[in-house]
Amino acid sequence: MIQIQDLTFRYREGEEPVVEDITLDIPDGAFVGITGAAGSGKSTLTYAMNGIIPHCYPGDFYGSVTVGSLDTCETSLTDISQLVGSVCQDIDSQIVTSIVEDEVLYGLENFGVPHDQIEARVTEALDAMGILDLKDRVISSLSGGQKQKVAIASVLALRPKVLVLDEPTAELDPASSRAVFELLAHYAEEHGTTVVVVEQKIALLSEFADMLVIVDQGRIKFADEPRRVLAHSEELLALGVNCPRSTTLMNRLANVGLYAGPVCCDVQEASNALLEVIA
Amino acid sequence: MNGFLEYVPGDSLLHRLNPVTKIVFAVVFAISCFCTSNLIFLAVLLAAAIGLAASCGMLKQTAGLMKAVFAFSIILAVLLLLTNPSGDVLVELPWGYIGTGSIMAAVATILRLEAAAIPLFLTFYVTKMTDMSNAAVKVLHVPYKYAFTFASTVHFIPVFMNDMRSIMEAQTARGVEFDQGGIVNKVRLMVPLCVPLLVSSVRKTNSAAIAAEVRGFDLRTRESGYKTYPFTAADLAVIVLAVAILVAAIIVP
Repeated sequence: MIQIQDLTFRYREGEEPVVEDITLDIPDGAFVGITGAAGSGKSTLTYAMNGIIPHCYPGDFYGSVTVGSLDTCETSLTDISQLVGSVCQDIDSQIVTSIVEDEVLYGLENFGVPHDQIEARVTEALDAMGILDLKDRVISSLSGGQKQKVAIASVLALRPKVLVLDEPTAELDPASSRAVFELLAHYAEEHGTTVVVVEQKIALLSEFADMLVIVDQGRIKFADEPRRVLAHSEELLALGVNCPRSTTLMNRLANVGLYAGPVCCDVQEASNALLEVIA
Repeated sequence: MNGFLEYVPGDSLLHRLNPVTKIVFAVVFAISCFCTSNLIFLAVLLAAAIGLAASCGMLKQTAGLMKAVFAFSIILAVLLLLTNPSGDVLVELPWGYIGTGSIMAAVATILRLEAAAIPLFLTFYVTKMTDMSNAAVKVLHVPYKYAFTFASTVHFIPVFMNDMRSIMEAQTARGVEFDQGGIVNKVRLMVPLCVPLLVSSVRKTNSAAIAAEVRGFDLRTRESGYKTYPFTAADLAVIVLAVAILVAAIIVP
């Protein structure tokens, strides 16, 4: 669905490229998690996928990014956005209206969705995010987490083929973060949507993502199934990426020869494996 | 608690009127206030405006507005008092005098500004900004870009005010005493903070523009709006009332 070929990008005001020699192939319908230390180029990588780079930020763009069959450099941002829905990091500034319902309506109106379908789409999107009861609320009266759900719903309503989300759970507590991931995964599966999420909460990524991408200083260090990536917990730690504690524990046990099974991604797997080891 | 220029939900007649009607009424009402100097008529208009505020449960906010407008209009009134010698002489001044006419003019100014401001102010609080801009696009054929610019400006005022407040709180936490030494000191301390505020607002505006663009801002036409804004009998009555007030303001001596 998304092919990135030898992408290097330097912002006009920057000295060094923010992302360098990125090659990545995201298959149709995949759930991809991107993580890395702060300032590693994760957000820039998402900008490349949703066309914000090179259309909104000037700079030197090398390589190519193809979404579906569109080359992002040759297609207008408006055309790319019919295919790719984006949720940016700064929620407050991406909200353009004052009422939840109007916010969801906004994109639907602009993209010319037939008026007889609009009502159903609004309801479906709000329902998918579990915020149907907030429909008539004033957005400024909502909590940070609720606003994030509104922002996601307003993009889901457009039924994009690809969803690119930059830290969609930054303002959420662990339980709500999990809930958002569950809702996203469920939605993606139902609609066959390709999802790319930048996220710090690696435990969530390793649980939900089919592919985990680790970015360090603008380069991709790992891009593989979460289980394979997590096997490198020591290296990840050196890059500023904390693996789930259960994974780190089991990897250490494996290093000292006490455990020889597969990498554990969550607490349940680790505890089962530990029980086996002890037995 | 609602912030500055943030929509207050409700179901009053004012809430339900067509946004265009509200704007037209508020503007015509304001013009009427400037077309008459009759103190009784102005007092009636002011009372009517306060009545409007009461009808949509906005008395508290309106009181705040009236205080602010009063502070502003009192300056104008004093100026008028000193520079507009008319009527019977009350106090002699080196350059003229303060007369009964000057006092009348000063009072009229205060009443006029108060009365003119309230309906305009209410319009913003009882109308969703999106409805206002959508109705302007659909009914008045205002180009969407202008309507959106206006709506975004109003939308961002509370956002920036919040930003300013958090910057000030952060400074207070580091020992800056905004509450010491009166308004001059406060302003002196606030001026340097305008730089971070400006930087963050430019950044926010930029991401807002991008966010609007990735949701099809460029594709929007007059037909895009989903909601319709039909004129009802109530709207017609309100417009007729506005015109009647204007005519009365012009013919009342």
